[in-house]
Amino acid sequence: MLYTINKGVLEELTGFYERLYYSTLEYFDPMIVSKTLHEIVSKESPEAVLFPCTNKGRMIAGLLAGLTGYDTVTDTVSLKPLSDGFEVIKLTFGGNASATLNVKKPMIACIVSGSYKESETLGSKGEVIEVNAGEHILSVEFSPRKLEGVDPSKADVVVGAGRGVKKKEDLDMIKELASILGGAWSVTRPLAADYGWADAWIGISGLVINPKLYIAIGISGQPHHTMGVRGAKVIVAVNSDESAPIFEDADYGVIGDLYRVVPVLIEKLKKGK
Amino acid sequence: MKVLVAVKLTYDINQLKFEKDGTPLLDACPRVMGEADKCAMEEAARIKDAGKAEEVVALTVGSSKEHQRILKDAYAMGATKAVAIKVNDPDNLSALTIATIIASFIKKTGPYDMILLGSGAGDTHSSVVGPMVASLLNMPLLANADRVKVEEDDITIVSTLEDGQYKFRSRTPAVVTVTSEANEPRIPTIRDILRSKKKPIDEISPEDLGVELSKVDLVDVKRYEVPRKRVKIDATDNVEEAVDQLIKALEQEGVI
Ligand SMILES: Cc1cc2nc3c(=O)[nH]c(=O)nc-3n(C[C@H](O)[C@H](O)[C@H](O)COP(=O)(O)OP(=O)(O)OC[C@H]3O[C@@H](n4cnc5c(N)ncnc54)[C@H](O)[C@@H]3O)c2cc1C
Repeated sequence: MLYTINKGVLEELTGFYERLYYSTLEYFDPMIVSKTLHEIVSKESPEAVLFPCTNKGRMIAGLLAGLTGYDTVTDTVSLKPLSDGFEVIKLTFGGNASATLNVKKPMIACIVSGSYKESETLGSKGEVIEVNAGEHILSVEFSPRKLEGVDPSKADVVVGAGRGVKKKEDLDMIKELASILGGAWSVTRPLAADYGWADAWIGISGLVINPKLYIAIGISGQPHHTMGVRGAKVIVAVNSDESAPIFEDADYGVIGDLYRVVPVLIEKLKKGK
Repeated sequence: MKVLVAVKLTYDINQLKFEKDGTPLLDACPRVMGEADKCAMEEAARIKDAGKAEEVVALTVGSSKEHQRILKDAYAMGATKAVAIKVNDPDNLSALTIATIIASFIKKTGPYDMILLGSGAGDTHSSVVGPMVASLLNMPLLANADRVKVEEDDITIVSTLEDGQYKFRSRTPAVVTVTSEANEPRIPTIRDILRSKKKPIDEISPEDLGVELSKVDLVDVKRYEVPRKRVKIDATDNVEEAVDQLIKALEQEGVI
């Protein structure tokens, strides 16, 4: 079964679940989401409760674990049923290592985006059930992410900029490159969280993306970042430091100054069209 | 106010090396106080410096020399008391056990007005311990704070989540988890460091807290790599040629 506070997804998902619970909330409030989910879990007694491995998913997973006492595993890429639990494979050490563990059921897991292919529908529509979530516990103000251009989570091509890009204005060439390739642009966390040049970033604490092509420009390739692009089919890196770790994670590593490489790349791609 | 900060001794994953067969060389990997935990400690120190808190208790699960070292670091940053929980290999305990130890310690030695933790450890980065502690104590959770503001008995945080920016606010007592962007942790002065060396570290065992330890049933840990081609294209001299080579390769891959 499913629980969501986004009523908009019910239509699309109704074929995949027997029961779809939803609540209407003014804002995301982890406290009431976890309390409501706890009630549903107590009633349904599932063997596993799964969340997307996002900041919100981790938050609710942890809160629910405290309420239920279920063991919890994050960064999960595979879950196989055993007789009394699950064999779980999870990423750890910033995605540099994978760990296999046995976990008793019932359990909670946060699943890394892109770990599974879309499943088949059940062939019938599930029952939609509204649950009253009650009063907000936290006081919440929300300003939605302003999306400039294409959503990186949905794009086939994503161009990522790191601290090698020195000024906010220089992001213009990153955006231009993304737009020529019909894709999206994004950044590493320091550019978003420290400098405020973007509303979101790619990586373990941000977006996890699975594009066909990821172009990392002026990005050193710390595990926290690269964990967000493991699902990319092809990775290109442009970096002036030959020993930057990003080259280990790239299919094509261009060693050079981004301020010289990117303009030429833009120009040639434009001509080619 | 009385503040508790829970800090973790984490592997510096940027320096983690692997054996040929893929086994991580953990013994050779340096360990430090988690980056975000350090920001949590800094946040507590600032609250104390502003005269809003009298007591800042730093807690870690584990009591090895290295655990003691990060507690001394916490002292040097401004903790007024430091406690190590005596367990042998905390890294093998489940996240829920760690959270239960922290919550039980809080129940036993509290009440506290604010519980601070890093939003995620630098190594395992599960980000679930703070939320678990909040549920176990039945306290509101203010998670993933990029900024924290404390006014009287009111805490407001700003948190960037996948769909935008949230401002969460609640009354104390509350559990607050802090990201590594929340602040720039202070570098303690030599004097503070020397002083911290003389300060006592209390030790408590999980039995004293009435917590039963539950270990993770780990089968194995291996290096994890997505195979990549690692073709190098040198653009230091001839940019034009390098870019041509790149475009050709990407066309052949069928990705542009
Ligand atoms: C708990 C935790 C979670 C984190 N989560 C994330 C996350 O989700 N996402 C994330 O991105 N980060 C995350 N981080 C931060 C991460 O560890 C790195 O600090 C960050 O990814 C580095 O960003 P960067 O590559 O842009 O900058 P840097 O590491 O400073 O790299 C800049 C690179 O640009 C290159 N360069 C400089 N000038 C040029 C030039 N002219 N031409 C070409 N190359 C140039 C340099 O050689 C260098 O390699 C997290 C950290 C912690 C502690």
